[in-house]
Amino acid sequence: MIPGPASVLRVGLMILAGVVIQIACLVQIQVLGGTVDIMPLVVAAVALYAGSVPGAATGFFTGLLADLALGGNLGASSLVLTAVGYAVGRYREQRDPAHGLTPIPVAAAATGGYVLAYAAVSFMLSIDAPVSLLVVREMFMTVVLNALIALPFFALARRLLRPALLVEPGPRGRRDSAISSGPIGLRGLEV
Amino acid sequence: MYDKTVRRRRAALLIFVALSIGLLTVYFGEPASGGLHAIQRGAQEVLAPIEEGASRAFKPFRDLINWTGDVFDAKSENKDLKDEVAQLREDLAQAQTAEREAEQLRGLAGLPKDELFPQGTEPVTARVIARSPTSWQSSVQIDKGKSAGIEVDMPVIAHGGDGGGGLAGKVTSVSGGTATVTLITDESSAVSAQVMPDGAAGIVKPTVGDPSDMLLDFIEKGRPVSKDTTVITSGSRSDRFESLFPRGIPIGRVTEVDAEERELYQRVHIEPFADLKRMDFVQVLTERGEEQAQVLLP
Repeated sequence: MIPGPASVLRVGLMILAGVVIQIACLVQIQVLGGTVDIMPLVVAAVALYAGSVPGAATGFFTGLLADLALGGNLGASSLVLTAVGYAVGRYREQRDPAHGLTPIPVAAAATGGYVLAYAAVSFMLSIDAPVSLLVVREMFMTVVLNALIALPFFALARRLLRPALLVEPGPRGRRDSAISSGPIGLRGLEV
Repeated sequence: MYDKTVRRRRAALLIFVALSIGLLTVYFGEPASGGLHAIQRGAQEVLAPIEEGASRAFKPFRDLINWTGDVFDAKSENKDLKDEVAQLREDLAQAQTAEREAEQLRGLAGLPKDELFPQGTEPVTARVIARSPTSWQSSVQIDKGKSAGIEVDMPVIAHGGDGGGGLAGKVTSVSGGTATVTLITDESSAVSAQVMPDGAAGIVKPTVGDPSDMLLDFIEKGRPVSKDTTVITSGSRSDRFESLFPRGIPIGRVTEVDAEERELYQRVHIEPFADLKRMDFVQVLTERGEEQAQVLLP
C-alpha cells in the first residue's frame, strides 16, 4: 500500500509545480473576469490516470500545500480537493473512459465541483460580507478556462505520470473493461 | 479481494477527510501562536524563495498575456510584419513591466507625502510574491518579514491605478523573511472610516468577488454624504471593530449612496484607491505616525 519513491516524487513535483505556478503566476492573468486554476486539474489528472486513492491523496496534499503557502484556513482546500480527487478516481474506476476528449468534461466537472464546494466551505466558515454576483462569473469563467486547457494539460500530466502508472492510460476504443482491467493506481499503491 | 480493495479505498478516503476536518477544527480552535499556525508560517518561509523565483520568472509571461489581452481588439497588423511585431511585443512587455513597477514605486513613495496622510509612519517597501487564488480569501504574500521590522497588524498601503493609492490591508502573519497581508477586500475585513470633509463615520466592508466596490456601512441617515468625496481611516476604536490603522490613510472615493426608507443607516459604495488586483509592490507602515492637522474634523 506504500507507493514507490518514484511515484511519490513525480506526483509531489506535480503538486509543488501546480501550486507554485498557480499562486505566483496564473492567478494574476485575468481572462474575461476569470483565471485558470490548475490545482483541481492536477488532482483530476492524477485521479483520472491513477484512480481514487492516489486522487484523494493528491487532493489532500495539494490543498494542504496551497493553504500552507497562502496562510488560508488549513484543511479547507484539502477537504474539497480530496473529494474532487476521489470522485474523479471513482469515475475512472467505474466507467474506465476511453474517449480522447474525456479530459474536457472531467476538467470542467472537477473545477466546477471544486469552486462550488470551496464556496460552500467558505460560507460555512462564517463569511460575513455581502457577496457580489461577479463571483459567480469568476467561478464560471474558471470552469470554462480550465475546460479549454484540459486536453494539453492532461496530456502533459499523462506524460509525466506514465512511468509511475500500473496501467497505460489512453484511448483503447472500449468502455466495458472497468472490472477486468486489473489493478490501477501508482506503482506501490494498487487499487 | 474485491472487498479488501473497497475497504482500503474507503479507509483512505475516510482518513483524508478526517485529517482535513481535524486540521480545520484545530486551526480554528487555536490562537495565532498555536502549533498549526507556526507550521504554516514555517512553510511560508520555506516556500517564499520558490514563490519569489517563480513570480519573477513568470512576470514577463504574465505581462505579455495581460498586455495582449488589453490591446487584442485594437490590433490589425500586416501579415508581413507579424514576426517583427511579436518581437516588439516581447520588448514592449518588458519595458511596460519596468515602467509599471517604476510608476508603482513612485506612487508609493509619494503617498506618505499626501497632506492627509499620517506622518512618521516609517514605510517599508515590499514586493508581492504570491496571491490567494480565490475571491473568498483575499490575501497576498510579500517578500519582507520580521527581519525588515514588519509585525502583525501593521497597515499596508498600495499604489492606485490612477496614480494615487491608499489602504490595501494589514499584516496578519509574519515570518523571518515574508509576511501575509490580508487585503481590505477579504471577507473578514472591517475598517473604521470617515468621509472627508463631511465627517460621517462608518465601517468599510468588502463585497466578496468585486474588489472595485466596497461598502461604507453604519452611517446615520442624518449625515449627508456626497459623491466623489474621499474616505479615510478614522483611527477610532470600538468594541466590535477595533481600528488598527492610524487616522488619515486614504481608502477610496464615494461612488454611490443608498438611503433606503426603512433603514436606520445609509449605505455608501466606495471604490478603493489602491489597485488591489494588479499591485506588484506595497508599503508596510511600521510606525503608527501622527495624524495631520488637516484631518482633525470640527
